[in-house]
Amino acid sequence: MLARAAADFYWMGRYFERAEHTARLLRYQLARLVDTPAGELAVGWRVIYRALGQSAPITPTVTDEAESFLLADAYTLAASLVEETTNPDSIIRCWTTARDNAKQLRPWLPVRVWTCLNQGFFWLRDCDFPAAWATGPAALAGEAIDRLRLLAGVVEARMPRDDAWRFLELGRFVERLQHQAALLDAWDRIGQAPGDAPSLSWAGLLRVCAAHEFYCRTHSMVIRRGPALAFLARNPELPQSLCFAVHRIEQLLAGIDPRGARYPLAAPHRMVLRLSATVETDPASENDAEGDGGSFEALLTDSRALHGITVSTYFDYPVEAGLPS
Amino acid sequence: MTASRHASFDRAYPDVSQPGVAGSGGFARYEVDARFYDEMFREDGALRGVSRRLGTALSRASPEDLAQLQEGVARRFIHEGITFTVIGADEASEQIIPIDCVPRLLTADEWDHIDRGLRQRLTALNLFLRDIYHDGRSLRDGIVPPDLVLGCPQYRVEMRGLQVPNDIYVSVCGTDVVRTHAGFAVLEDNLRVPSGVSYMLACRVAMKQAFPRLYRAHNVREIARYPEQLYATLASLGSWAGTPRVAVLSPGRYNSAYYEHAFLAGEMGADLVEGRDLVVHDGIVYARTVTGLRRIDVIYRRVDDDFLDPVTFRSDSLLGVPGLFHAYRAGNVVIANAPGTGVADDKAVYAYVPDLIRYFLDEEPILANVETHLCRTREGLAYTLDNLERLVVKEVGGSGGYGMLVGPHSTAAERDRYAARLRSHPDNFISQPVLDLSRAMCFVEGNLEPRHVDVRPFVLRGRSDTWIAPGGLCRVALRRGGLVVNSSQGGGCKDLWVLRDGQVPD
Repeated sequence: MLARAAADFYWMGRYFERAEHTARLLRYQLARLVDTPAGELAVGWRVIYRALGQSAPITPTVTDEAESFLLADAYTLAASLVEETTNPDSIIRCWTTARDNAKQLRPWLPVRVWTCLNQGFFWLRDCDFPAAWATGPAALAGEAIDRLRLLAGVVEARMPRDDAWRFLELGRFVERLQHQAALLDAWDRIGQAPGDAPSLSWAGLLRVCAAHEFYCRTHSMVIRRGPALAFLARNPELPQSLCFAVHRIEQLLAGIDPRGARYPLAAPHRMVLRLSATVETDPASENDAEGDGGSFEALLTDSRALHGITVSTYFDYPVEAGLPS
Repeated sequence: MTASRHASFDRAYPDVSQPGVAGSGGFARYEVDARFYDEMFREDGALRGVSRRLGTALSRASPEDLAQLQEGVARRFIHEGITFTVIGADEASEQIIPIDCVPRLLTADEWDHIDRGLRQRLTALNLFLRDIYHDGRSLRDGIVPPDLVLGCPQYRVEMRGLQVPNDIYVSVCGTDVVRTHAGFAVLEDNLRVPSGVSYMLACRVAMKQAFPRLYRAHNVREIARYPEQLYATLASLGSWAGTPRVAVLSPGRYNSAYYEHAFLAGEMGADLVEGRDLVVHDGIVYARTVTGLRRIDVIYRRVDDDFLDPVTFRSDSLLGVPGLFHAYRAGNVVIANAPGTGVADDKAVYAYVPDLIRYFLDEEPILANVETHLCRTREGLAYTLDNLERLVVKEVGGSGGYGMLVGPHSTAAERDRYAARLRSHPDNFISQPVLDLSRAMCFVEGNLEPRHVDVRPFVLRGRSDTWIAPGGLCRVALRRGGLVVNSSQGGGCKDLWVLRDGQVPD
């Protein structure tokens, strides 16, 4: 497969995953606007922005990050993540960029996939966010998620399991690994506070990750830090878990480059095995003790390295390395 | 079809075979103007034989039905991304070509005439291109002024003496054909990177969905084989041990015809590449794939000569592939169309094509040329300046309807400015009379009205044969009275139905 096309599929997968991630975080936070104290909402915004790797809103008179989120208004914070075209994590920006990637992939992309993607884009572009804010902004985030899921379903049904599909999926799971690691880290480090200070619930984290019902069914209604984090890190049956993402990446790389999966391992395969070992052994012990969150950070660093290695191995290699032997 | 449409099609309707149908009933806004050949009606207002079935169906349809059909087609084009890009001052926007839902019809005999004329023309133009890059016989014999050819910006000295595979310089051609009362004539040869074929195919798919029974009843010749034929044509240009690897070279997604590049690559199973995807190593062209470099045998380029190779042509080109022309000269890759073909579709050289046909083929041209005045000659310039308000003046290297002056639609100030340009660079211009382009029925703003049309058929020239898609991109000047059909100038398009034998002639 053409390297640039593979890169476009990879990035398209990343952007759609990112859009869904942003929409999930927003849906959780916006649904809480009705009945949550301001202090707790501010913590929520702070965690969301930190999980997305974004800085606090600019308030010249306030230098403390926590306070700046307390003073910022919810509409501005939400609008920035929905309709701000310069924000790299906003839903519209992610969808637009993914569509730009898709435009270059028309020869490889089934018409139904393009049509579904395009219809979603037109819906989002024509959305009236101020009007949605007045009637219930969480519904808008919910509809964005539904449309992204519909697209994922059409991809599932229409695309052959060739390299195009593998790179699309690879992008999705590399992105998922990165943002899940960042979310767990932010929720654990910033979302929790000692004593009566406003904190985020662990049930909320499970809800954001679409894992609450599954957790309650398989574990307990009483949700504690250690088991919740371990569940989100290591449950192999939960699509949003770190473990699930790493295993999918491993499978996809083996399909893209079967030779690389044999010893001596190729660089991306080595890195994904390292990630697998980290997830299995390191982050989030089962006990309830407060951790330092350092293991999620290390995972995040390694997953970014995996991205770099993927790019240099498959998309942007030196000419000499690619010449037929 | 909706229930309401069934009801509408079944209602009582007038006898459309009688004179005076145009201008009455469902055709109340349709005025037949004797100055222009009408594709649908005779001068007495009766439907032409070939159009009776279509006219009958249209007379049964309500404006609401037609509006619904037209909207459905437009919506489909938008959702499926069948668009072209318009680069504005600040940003690029996607637009669809307005599609008119009323097809234009041609009989088998009419098409046969066009078909023979196009074959003859392309054969002569290929011989001409071989000649000017080798012996120059036609230049020495005074058929075409040598300075016109050698001074043409599209003449590539790098092509001199180069043996092009099978002497086929032009493999893909889109010739603009118009009809007047005098018959069919060629308005322009597009021999470099003709575009529009994807819209022709998309239009056909849309029309089949919109008028399934009408389409079947008309026994229309099929054009869907175009991508298959294009692949076969490209593959025939060289000799390969196995299956040649074909790539479509595109300038990228900001190019106005990018959808077409992607569409053709997809339909042919070819790689859609940009310059940055290709590398030349030891005179071989490779594409970067995820598993290393893979050789490319044929490049169907949709990039202008200037930008093909920064080493040979424009050094500031970011679209091309360094060393590509070297690989081409070495015979390691086929480029279609060959570099340097633009000299044969220069608007000044166009004036000599009938003479070239006589010279190279010893035949009379089947398709006429439009009367053309070369401003590079003293008489041509004087005539043009004296008759600016009656002529269409074009730049010899222009395209897309840009940079031209349509005399009757211009202001005195515009003509003055244009005259100054003509006087300072007369070599750059030609002039032609305002053509009485034929008119076809279109559904515009809720009414069936006549609009001026032309047609761009697509011709493929392979090693052993020439194939012409029996149809073409029928372009429409949607503005009432307008003559410019280019999509970049507000033109639209419609489907062209070429009927098989046995249809009622006029």
